[in-house]
Amino acid sequence: MSEHENKVGQAAPSPHLRVSGIHKRFGGVHALRGVDFEVARGEVMALVGDNGAGKSTLMKVLAGAHAADEGQFFMDEAPVSVNTPHDASDLGIQIVYQDLALCENLDVSANLSLGAEPVKAGWGFLPRLLRPLDDLEMEVKAQAAIDRLQVRTLQSVRAKVGGLSGGQRQAIAIARAVGADGSVVMLDEPTAALGVAQTRQVLDVVKRLRDTGHAVVYISHNMRDIFEVADRICVLRHGGNVATWRKDDTTPDEIVVAMTRGLDDEAGNAA
Amino acid sequence: MQPEQKLSFVDRLRIMRETRFGAFVPVLLALAAIWAYFGLAVPLWEYWGDADAQNIRFIFLSPRNIYNLFMQSAVIATLAVGITVVLLLGDIDLSAAATAGVCAALLGVLVLAGVPGPIACLIVMAVGIIMGTAQGILVAYVGIPSFVVTLAGLLGFQGLMQKILPTGNLNVGDPFVRGFARVLLPDTLGWVLALACIAVFAWLNLRKQGQRKARGLDLDSKAAVWGQIVFFGALMLATVATLNSYRSVPLLIVLLMAITALIGWVTTSTPYGRSIFAVGGNPESARRVGMNVKRIRVSAFAIVGLMAAIGGIFGASRFGSVSYTAFAGGSLLLESIGAAVIGGTSLFGGRGSVWNAILGALVIGSLGNGLDLSGASAADKLMFSGAILLLAVAIDAVSRSGTSER
Ligand SMILES: Nc1ncnc2c1ncn2[C@@H]1O[C@H](COP(=O)(O)OP(=O)(O)O)[C@@H](O)[C@H]1O
Ligand SMILES: [Mg+2]
Repeated sequence: MSEHENKVGQAAPSPHLRVSGIHKRFGGVHALRGVDFEVARGEVMALVGDNGAGKSTLMKVLAGAHAADEGQFFMDEAPVSVNTPHDASDLGIQIVYQDLALCENLDVSANLSLGAEPVKAGWGFLPRLLRPLDDLEMEVKAQAAIDRLQVRTLQSVRAKVGGLSGGQRQAIAIARAVGADGSVVMLDEPTAALGVAQTRQVLDVVKRLRDTGHAVVYISHNMRDIFEVADRICVLRHGGNVATWRKDDTTPDEIVVAMTRGLDDEAGNAA
Repeated sequence: MQPEQKLSFVDRLRIMRETRFGAFVPVLLALAAIWAYFGLAVPLWEYWGDADAQNIRFIFLSPRNIYNLFMQSAVIATLAVGITVVLLLGDIDLSAAATAGVCAALLGVLVLAGVPGPIACLIVMAVGIIMGTAQGILVAYVGIPSFVVTLAGLLGFQGLMQKILPTGNLNVGDPFVRGFARVLLPDTLGWVLALACIAVFAWLNLRKQGQRKARGLDLDSKAAVWGQIVFFGALMLATVATLNSYRSVPLLIVLLMAITALIGWVTTSTPYGRSIFAVGGNPESARRVGMNVKRIRVSAFAIVGLMAAIGGIFGASRFGSVSYTAFAGGSLLLESIGAAVIGGTSLFGGRGSVWNAILGALVIGSLGNGLDLSGASAADKLMFSGAILLLAVAIDAVSRSGTSER
């Protein structure tokens, strides 16, 4: 039992974003069954679990893309409510979705500012939705975000996303989350479609985010990447928590066992 | 060898259609081909084939016919502009012509009952918006596919129009309503307006280029910028010159252009318009960045309802009467959807422009007008229109498959 307490992390830093008791049902599918999750500033929290464990669903709940059926949200331990994507982005929560959520018919700069388009000043008499877009500002911002990520192969921010490669699209989705200065950045399997060099770039971005005081959530199936960037590792299984370990206190083998069989075998109880 | 060639053609098509002005190229080519055929080939053929002919008669390209062509296409174009907005979302509106019919019939009844023309027009526009909004709510909030909702709307509104017009026909003599089609701009005003439009177009383009330079963004080539301006200017001046040499620019055309410019601006240059394209491209992404997809859907149907009402007003104005066959029961619906699609607006959503709908309406109008002039039967007209529509959708499908192959 004491070993288990260690795993939940007594020495954990105080959380920046914390949720507890999250339930989410899709019709008959009980995708999240009372999940607790937290991440602190300046920390990379890895989230692992088998396919269908509920990782993406948890991320979507945190990003406001799905409203939780039950559960509490806390920012710096103050209760908040996150029911819409706007709630989440207002709290500084940014996400790179597993499916990227880009609009292929729009160009790169439009995708980077989607949902938060800058408008020109001096049109205050119109409702915001009908004010002229500041598309030059959009392009300048997009160029800056792309330059920061060093997507060298991208020719122009005016290129349509539909014509880009998988790696370039991934980079754009990451640039969108990183560029919109939030305090929490969540990346859902960002390296699944990437080669070695591009994966390295993403890992560098993750480290840079941690070093600049962001709270980072990183989902991946690659244990080597996880043990390289993560500070803590949270394991989900069948929509519930298994446990959370500090990276230094565990091994890839232990994580894989927890992902596939939970803790029962090793601890000999139902924890 | 062969497949490679084919792929590169598809690629080129796709790339061309993604540039702002490249999207106009297919529909402009279609228009040029139709005009060349009916305007040059048919008269020459008749001249050579007929020994008694004194001189070549270019009926199709005569200013009088072009004037009529513009007026004939105006109602189609008005509806096509509205339909384009819902097509951009990936939805469709099959009830637009029936909505126009109901609005026109209501307009006729209202002015007959002594309601002043301007007020009757406003009432009818509000009714159009309500009809569109109601369908939009069924699509967005109840979740019925737009195809089904608007098919039901088509049937229901056809019936409603017959209820309003039991005789199926009503003359509209109200001077205000007739004025849209009858009032002509003085020749000089037409020229001044055209020159002002060209000046504004040039100024906006050059200013944008200057701002891009100041901000260190990549510039469009000088040739492209000036090419656009020269092309736009030539189009405007040629149109005004042609219309002036028969009568002069009708108010109806000016209003249609102004409305199209407004909707074109809203769809391309505002956050609202951007959200229409985003929903058409990937509704789930749009939802996840916080756009209110349902409300956007409803608003697009409200716009198509409004445009249908305006189309009804324009139609009543042009014909001087409201008849069942001219709107709800006739070919107007298919012609206006055809116009939008021929213009290059994708049926799959997310790609297209209202200006293309205007050009598409001219294609449809020219085809009907040319076939009429050369004495083709109604059967020929239908078959020709079907072939052109199929060709347009094929271009859309091919250029789209080029995108998703990557
Ligand atoms: N939109 C949805 N509708 C219905 N079921 C869903 C939906 N999203 C996820 N699920 C279900 O929830 C469970 C967890 O899915 P997910 O969070 O994507 O897992 P992971 O990302 O860990 O692979 C799966 O059983 C999946 O089928
Ligand atoms: Mg997932």
